Amino acid sequence: MTDYRNPPIPEGINVHPQHPLKEFFWMLAAVGIALTVAIALLIALANYLVTFVPFEMEQRLAQHMEVNYFQPGDAPPTPALIYLQSLGHSLAQAQQAPHPIRIHLLDSDDINAFATLGGHIFISRGLLEVMPNENALAMVLAHEIAHISHRDPIIATGRGLTVALAIMSLTGVGDGAMAHQLASQFSLVTQLSFSRSAEAAADLRALETLRQYYGHTLGADALFNYLVAEQGRGNALAEQPLLALLNSHPLHADRIATINAFTGSNHNGQGQLTPLPANWLAPRTD
Amino acid sequence: MESLIILVVLTTLGYAFGSVIERRHFASIIAREHLLRNIMCFSARTPPSDIGPVDSQLVGGNVVISIDYFKLIAAALRGLIGGRVSAYETLVERARREAILRMKVAAQDLGATQIFNVKLETASIYNGYQQQTGSVEVYAYGTALIPHTS
Amino acid sequence: MFITNIEAVPGKRITQHLGMVQGNTVRAKHAGRDIMAGLKNIFGGELKGYTELLTEAREEATARMVQQAQAIGANAVINVRYSTSSISAGAAELFAYGTAVVLE
Repeated sequence: MTDYRNPPIPEGINVHPQHPLKEFFWMLAAVGIALTVAIALLIALANYLVTFVPFEMEQRLAQHMEVNYFQPGDAPPTPALIYLQSLGHSLAQAQQAPHPIRIHLLDSDDINAFATLGGHIFISRGLLEVMPNENALAMVLAHEIAHISHRDPIIATGRGLTVALAIMSLTGVGDGAMAHQLASQFSLVTQLSFSRSAEAAADLRALETLRQYYGHTLGADALFNYLVAEQGRGNALAEQPLLALLNSHPLHADRIATINAFTGSNHNGQGQLTPLPANWLAPRTD
Repeated sequence: MESLIILVVLTTLGYAFGSVIERRHFASIIAREHLLRNIMCFSARTPPSDIGPVDSQLVGGNVVISIDYFKLIAAALRGLIGGRVSAYETLVERARREAILRMKVAAQDLGATQIFNVKLETASIYNGYQQQTGSVEVYAYGTALIPHTS
Repeated sequence: MFITNIEAVPGKRITQHLGMVQGNTVRAKHAGRDIMAGLKNIFGGELKGYTELLTEAREEATARMVQQAQAIGANAVINVRYSTSSISAGAAELFAYGTAVVLE
């Protein structure tokens, strides 16, 4: 006669007794370190390889994007744009910029200017409206031209693409939830933004350009002084991102200090400010 | 930045609530397993020949248990490293024991004392982004033997 | 420990049925393996990494089931069944269960 029983089975055989939080932080650290190292290596590689991309290819790349950028392309150039183009070309010559540049106006109240692929520079109307003189505007233009001379847009694009590819290759792994989260985080950081050192280098080259063009660098800090003052008044348009880490531009105060140091040395502080032409900005249409 | 904060908040909430729910569930499973000790389960296909006059009936119990956000993130990290996914092991353990308990309750309601040929089926129910796991279903079933009460 | 997936052990008599014992494990391979498997999906062929993953997992599930059987004083597990389910993409759950018995 067989005996049928169900003795109690001890706990903890099918469940690993490790504390979940301990395991969690261990895994977080391991993945974080591995990912940081991998991406740093990839970025270094991309930065190196991207400098071999000829400027002509960069221009062709930009042409594909132009369709989105310049919809009202047939509009006749405004006096402001003609003035900006000629100032830009003079500055590019003073800087001995190796690549042709093209300046575009953005009809936006934001205070913004950026350089992008193919030698295109965008300047917002909001920025032009707060310019006190030509020297301040020239500083902004020379800074963006310096980015193009340094090939910063293609370097940033290469970096963004590399990181995107690295993240995408993780998409097939596990649930894909992690990759999805990571991708959304990294897209913030790697948007076409230049590194801090690239910004500082562009500032320095811009100052040298101004010295070449005007013989002095007075007024170069006007925009940053204005932004600092507006921040004090709580103007949202002049706000910097909350975290300085995510903001690739050096802080306004640091840039003013750099400009002042440059202006103070080599007798760059003696000269006349050049005024902007009268009524160069057409009155607002709205 | 915001999505990172949301991620951290959800993970913390998931851990806080998930671990309390899990601890309570395990305590409840252990207590009920003790109460239902008199219902015996065997995966053997045939009952003993000398069992005497019995009725038999198919009984089953199922449960769907959801993961919490902490488990989701922990499992995703584990997916990158490889190895034992302990976040999901506790999940399937809970589901399986709960399903067996529910099957035992069904057998008890019929007046049975033994369940033979017990089988277990596990299914993962996908939802959300890219088939990420939402919950696990376990179905336990077997043949309950009901002794004649005479 | 004697393990079989038939009901009776030939030549031996079962003296005690000790009920069901179970072993389960959920396992994942590291990302490198997953990426290689993704590439392999293009060309076909055996996914060695995953074969290995499932073998390891099955061994662990069996070991855990045996551990349960030992804990309640059995010396054999009969009528053993395995079931596999994919709990999430890239992670596999292996489950082994059977009836713990005492053989003569």
